[in-house]
Amino acid sequence: MARMKFLCDADRCIECNACVTACKNENEVPWGINRRRVVTINDGKPGERSISMACMHCTDAPCAAVCPVDCFYTTVDKVVLHSKDLCIGCGYCFYACPFGAPQYPKVGNFGSRGKMDKCTFCAGGPEADLSPAEFQKYGSNRLAEGKLPLCAEMCSTKALLAGDGDIIAKIYKERVVKRGYGSGAWGWKTAYKETIAI
Amino acid sequence: MSGKKTKEALDRRGFIKVVSLGGAAAAASVAPGLVTPAEAYDPGKEETKGRYRETDHVKAFYRTNGY
Repeated sequence: MARMKFLCDADRCIECNACVTACKNENEVPWGINRRRVVTINDGKPGERSISMACMHCTDAPCAAVCPVDCFYTTVDKVVLHSKDLCIGCGYCFYACPFGAPQYPKVGNFGSRGKMDKCTFCAGGPEADLSPAEFQKYGSNRLAEGKLPLCAEMCSTKALLAGDGDIIAKIYKERVVKRGYGSGAWGWKTAYKETIAI
Repeated sequence: MSGKKTKEALDRRGFIKVVSLGGAAAAASVAPGLVTPAEAYDPGKEETKGRYRETDHVKAFYRTNGY
């Protein structure tokens, strides 16, 4: 069974932020929320790298472990989703997440932030596939349409990979072997407890 | 005067006693059967089913990323 993963090839990312924009547009994400964002480290210095980050759909997700209302669930594809009907907006998942993925529509304290919103791997939510209710709450369900997350599909430099973990790891390894170097698969060890030999 | 004050104070205490006793009785009267334990969200099979398919669209994505 395929295990869905994201992989950002930091040697290819040019910090264009098109993945952020595409995600917002595709999922009609509310104001103030960015499900995906580009982080640049060593900005302006030698060795500068940009990484596109969103929910990594972790194995043994820490957000799910701390949720007081148990609103998270993992699909067969190993995509971590949540129910906005159950979410109480406590913010625990935000503190638990190593990638800062959970976002809230309002600024406030415990319970006044609104329902948590995060990347769904373009896989919708608990509502019926491709229903208006699902789109309104969670955005599009491209996986049900036989597609992959739009952020990865439209990446101009093919820096962001999404899909079957085995296949994208193979693609990345081939790239590293061809160019002779690689900065590693960022976040893989944290999210999936594994790394890619480079 | 002081006798009237004392009577008012006693009335007030009596009122508080009655209210507190009534509250305790109401709390005790909740039947144990009506208290439902908290339940974790149990997504159905339909919600957790695999949606990923290796369609031509997905295959084209993998192919073009190999360049």
